[in-house]
Amino acid sequence: MRHRQGALVFDATFELAEPWTVLFGPSGSGKTTVLRAIAGLMRPAAGQIVLGCDTPRVLFDRAKGICMPAHRRGVRLAAQVATLFPNMTVRENIAYGVPGDATEVVEETLQRFHLDRLSEVMPWKLSGGERQRAAVARAVASAITLKDSGLLLLDEPFAGLDLRLRDDLLGDLRSWLASTHTPVLSVTHDVGEAFQLGAEVIKFDDGRVLRQGPVEAVLAEERERLLDQLSRKDVQGEFKPL
Amino acid sequence: MDFEALWLTLRLAAGTTAILLVAGLPLAWWIASGRGAGRAVVQALVALPLVLPPTVVGFYLLVMLGPLTVPGRLLIRLFGHSLAFSFSGLLVGSVIYSLPFAVQPLVAGFGSVDRGYTEAAAGLGASPWRTFRTVVMPLTRGSLLTSAVLAFTHTVGEFGVVLMLGGNIPGATQTLSISLYDQVQDFNYAAANRTALALVIISLAALIVIYSRRGSGLGRGELV
Repeated sequence: MRHRQGALVFDATFELAEPWTVLFGPSGSGKTTVLRAIAGLMRPAAGQIVLGCDTPRVLFDRAKGICMPAHRRGVRLAAQVATLFPNMTVRENIAYGVPGDATEVVEETLQRFHLDRLSEVMPWKLSGGERQRAAVARAVASAITLKDSGLLLLDEPFAGLDLRLRDDLLGDLRSWLASTHTPVLSVTHDVGEAFQLGAEVIKFDDGRVLRQGPVEAVLAEERERLLDQLSRKDVQGEFKPL
Repeated sequence: MDFEALWLTLRLAAGTTAILLVAGLPLAWWIASGRGAGRAVVQALVALPLVLPPTVVGFYLLVMLGPLTVPGRLLIRLFGHSLAFSFSGLLVGSVIYSLPFAVQPLVAGFGSVDRGYTEAAAGLGASPWRTFRTVVMPLTRGSLLTSAVLAFTHTVGEFGVVLMLGGNIPGATQTLSISLYDQVQDFNYAAANRTALALVIISLAALIVIYSRRGSGLGRGELV
């Protein structure tokens, strides 16, 4: 897939091999653009996007002039900026992408994301972290109810959450999505989150795929650097207990 | 008070508003949802009645609806008579003349809807029509009301286009504003005063509807 954005050219060729794959890279490297292209919110200048293994579906093929509309792609996206519909409650937001006969999924999602007590609240009354959580929950609920094998795209899904809640949600979400066979491609620039989330990591920078493989192999260097930073005396000094 | 003219004016305004809401919604959405030379030309055409003298619009409509033009001949064949100097002709003229008053508030309303909302809906599998119906429309109810009220009141107050296109036929094309003109020409100032007062009351009531809604707070997540 290639996309021209000003002078920047993205050249992202990769396959999703694991149920949860992490697209890892620094801010501004083009990760969000890749997700938006897969979701059908923008058209790449060249390339092909295919979804599914047994019965592959061509979502986009510039050469053949194929560009499936976003709503028919079987792809669900939680954007980095949580845009809950302001005219709907949290429950109505989560139910938006769920078929009418799958109300139990809405209830389960509310519970799993600790949103049950906020279910009848309007979005403007939520904190930033709660809005982020509800937006991710909305995409997850919708992805889980997809009949054909779809894809869930999560753009920095837990960026606004405190570490404890993030750890709680991540573990639960991983097992829930695995049990419902919902494949996920999530984006992060956080090494810790990448290790927590994915067996498979695509390292991305400057609009290009640098490497793909198991997280331990692909992000070994970043991990060492992070551990080194944490063990340095000056850093320890900064966090010296009072 | 000329109740016949009042009834005809209200019928004309209601019919014009209904047509403009049906036709104006997709047109405004199309204008608001993109750019390009085509859209700029359409937007200019929609706004043209705002800057043209009403008599110019009335004159061209009179010519267009007459037997000298292809659309006019088609309409004569369809209706069996010319639309000029008839209520149907007035309706066509009012729709065109009030078009910017209906479309521009809608364009502004649709333009104020954050693209993130429509993209979020698409990212949840909603079709463009469902997105429009369930997200865009509820967020722009205020613009819809403004559009309807402005189209209605502007039609009520029309004079130039009505006179050029409909003449002054009591019961068929004589609206309140034409009746007021007649009353003044006849030096019947008492009747003119009542007619003018009726026009003021209708317009004021419509504006109070708009401003009281804005003053009383917006609906669920409404933007405009």
